[in-house]
Amino acid sequence: MTKDAVQGAAEEADQAQSKKGLKKQQKEAEKAAKKAEKQAKLAADTQSTDEDDFAKDRYGVPQMVQSQQKLDRVLVRVQKLTPEKADQLIWVRARVHTSRAKGKQCFLVLRQQQFNVQALVAVGERASKQMVKFAANINKESIVDVEAMVRKVEQKIDSCTQQDVELHIERIFVISQAEPRLPLQLEDCVRPDGEGDEDGRATVNQDTRLDNRVIDLRTTTSQAIFRLQSGVCQLFRDTLTNKGFVEIQTPKIISAASEGGANVFTVSYFKTSAYLAQSPQLYKQMCICADFDKVFCVGPVFRAEDSNTHRHLTEFVGLDIELAFNYHYHEVIESITDTMVQIFKGLRDKFQTEIQTVGKQYPSEPFRFLEPTLRLEYTEGVAMLREAGVDMGDEEDLSTPNEKLLGRLVKEKYDTDFYVLDKYPLAVRPFYTMPDPNDKVCASLNAHTHTTHAHDTIVAFTELVIRLMFPPQKYSNSYDMFMRGEEILSGAQRIHDAQLLTERAIHHNIDLEKIKSYIDSFRYGAPPHGGGGIGLERVCMLYLGLHNVRQVSMFPRDPKRLTP
Amino acid sequence: MMALRELTQGDKKVPVLHSNNGPALVGLVTIAAHLAQEAKRPELLGGSAEHKALVQQWLEYRLTKVDGCHKDDIKTILKDLNSYLEDKVYLAGNQFTLADTLMYYGIHHIIVDLAIQEKEKHMNVTRWFDHVQHYTGVRHHLPPVVVLRNRVYTSGHH
Repeated sequence: MTKDAVQGAAEEADQAQSKKGLKKQQKEAEKAAKKAEKQAKLAADTQSTDEDDFAKDRYGVPQMVQSQQKLDRVLVRVQKLTPEKADQLIWVRARVHTSRAKGKQCFLVLRQQQFNVQALVAVGERASKQMVKFAANINKESIVDVEAMVRKVEQKIDSCTQQDVELHIERIFVISQAEPRLPLQLEDCVRPDGEGDEDGRATVNQDTRLDNRVIDLRTTTSQAIFRLQSGVCQLFRDTLTNKGFVEIQTPKIISAASEGGANVFTVSYFKTSAYLAQSPQLYKQMCICADFDKVFCVGPVFRAEDSNTHRHLTEFVGLDIELAFNYHYHEVIESITDTMVQIFKGLRDKFQTEIQTVGKQYPSEPFRFLEPTLRLEYTEGVAMLREAGVDMGDEEDLSTPNEKLLGRLVKEKYDTDFYVLDKYPLAVRPFYTMPDPNDKVCASLNAHTHTTHAHDTIVAFTELVIRLMFPPQKYSNSYDMFMRGEEILSGAQRIHDAQLLTERAIHHNIDLEKIKSYIDSFRYGAPPHGGGGIGLERVCMLYLGLHNVRQVSMFPRDPKRLTP
Repeated sequence: MMALRELTQGDKKVPVLHSNNGPALVGLVTIAAHLAQEAKRPELLGGSAEHKALVQQWLEYRLTKVDGCHKDDIKTILKDLNSYLEDKVYLAGNQFTLADTLMYYGIHHIIVDLAIQEKEKHMNVTRWFDHVQHYTGVRHHLPPVVVLRNRVYTSGHH
C-alpha cells in the first residue's frame, strides 16, 4: 500500500468516526431536551398542586422530632382500636406495613408490634388527590402519625388483627422515613415452611434474617417469641421469689473453669488471663455456704464449644438455682420441677395469644406436662432404650439421638413432654457431683453367705471387703430435665464436704490451687445443697416446639456469628 | 448330592447349584425355586397362574432393585414397598411365598440400620418384616430387629 492510500484510509475512518460521534451528540441533545421538558412539567405540576391543594396542611414530612414541643395529643394503641371506639377521631402512631393505591383512594395497613389495622385515605372533603398520592408513596416501614376516624366495617378484615374497624385518615405525617428498598420483606419472614412454594413466593433463609435482625424482629412471630421469653424470666423470678429465694448477681470474669477446662473462653486480664463463666456454679454454692439458703441468678453464660447445631450457642442466658436441703436431694428436684410447672402453667394461661401467633408460622402440638413431674432413673431410661433396640452401655452418656428417642418413648408411655432423668453415671458428671451412696454390694453379700465351701466364702468375703473399702461408685445424685426430648437443665447434689471435694477434684485432674477459695468455702460448716442451671433459650424453643435456638435468641452468638 | 458354588459373571457373583441328576442350575431365584420343588413345597411358588406371576414379579424385584442397590435408592424402595404393602399381609397377597423369604433376606441389612423414626415412617414394611422374621424357620441366625408396637412419632413433629 502507498503512503497516500494509507492516509486516505485513515481519513475515511476519521470521517466515519465523526459521523458516529455526530449521531451520538444528537441523541444526547434529544435526551437532555426531554429531561428538561420532564423537569419543567414536574415543576409546573408541583406548582399547580401546591397552588390548588386545599389539604396541604393535612399531610407531609414534618421537622425531625427533636423535642421542640410537648403536644397534648393522645396516641391510641392499635390494639385498642375496637368497635367501642367507632366514630371517634383519634391519633395513632404506627408503621406503614403495606400500602396499595387504587384510583382515588389508598389503602394502608398500619402496624404496631404484632397488631395491625386497615386504614384508608380517599379523595373527598378532608383529603385531596395530592394527599392520596403522598400516602401511596410513603415507603414501607416508615413511621407515621395519623389522625383518623374509627369506622366499623360490615365485612371482617381477615388480613388484620383489628378485624371490625378501619381508620378513615384525615391527616397523615411521616415521623420517620424508611429507605425505599428493604433488605428483606416482612411477609416473606413469617411465611410458614412450604406455604407459597407453589406460587413461587420467597421465603427468607435464617442467616439473611439474622443479618437483618432489626427488621426480622418486627415480624409478628418474633414479637410473640420475645414477649413469651420475657414471660419465662418473669415467671421464673416470681415463682422463686414466692418460694423465699434471693436473687444474686455473680461475676462473669472468673479465675477457674467450673465444668472442665475444654470449653471456656479465655480473656486476657492485665498481666494474667481469666475465663468467661460457663455457669455461676461456684458462686451460687458459695452463697449457700454464706447462709443465703435459697438463691437464683439470671445472667449470661459462655460456652466455647465449637458446635454448630440447632441448639448450641456460645453465649446464652442461664437461669440458675441453688438451695440447701434437709435430708434428701429430691427436695431440690421437687423445688425445681415445681418451678418449671409454674412457668408452664403461667405461659399456658397468660401467653395464649403469643403461643398461637408463633403456631401460625411454626405449628406444633401444645406442650404437655404432668403434676407432679415424672422422675425416671437413668437405668430405667437405658432399659427403655434397650427395649426399643438401642445398644448402649450402663454407664454410657446419652447421645443426642438417644436422648430424643427416649423423649419420644416417654411421651408415648406417660404422655408428658417434661420429665426428670435421675441418677446419672458419676463418670459423665463434673467433679463437684455427689456420688450415689447406694451400692449393689449388700445384695452380693447375701448371695455369698449361701456358699457352702469355706474357701469360696473367704475369697468372696475378701472381695467384698475390698469393694466396701473402695466402692465402685457408678452412679451419682445428679439429674437432667428434658423438654420435648431435649435437655434443658443439668443439676445435682453438690459435694459439701471439703475432703471429698478435694478427692474428686484430684480424680478429675483439676489444679487445686485455682479452686482453693471454692474448696475452702466448705471448711467452715456447709449445708447439704443442690441445684441446677436452665438455658432460657432452650426452654422457649422447646416450649414453642421450634427447631432452632437462634430463633429464640435476640442476637444469637455462635462459632460463626458475632454480629449484629 | 448337591453342591453350591459361585460363578463370577462380570462384577457379580452368581450362585451355581450342581446336582447329581440333571444340569447345573444358575442364579438365586432359579435355585430357590428348584429347592422349593425338591422340598415338596410348590405352594411357595404360588397357587393360581396369577399368584405364580406375582411371586415371580417380586422375586425379580428383589434381584434387580434390591440387590446391590445404591444408598439413594433405599428410600425409594422402602417407599414403594410401604405403599404396596398397605393392604397386604404378604408380598403376593394373603399367602406366604418364596417372595417373602427372599425379600426378607434381601432387605434385612437395610431394616437393621433404620432408626425407629424411619421404621415408623415405613410402618407397613415394618409390620410385614416383623411378621416374616417371626415366621417359623425363616430368621435362622439373622439378628432379630426390634419393632415397637406403639407409634412414638405421632405428630410428624421434630
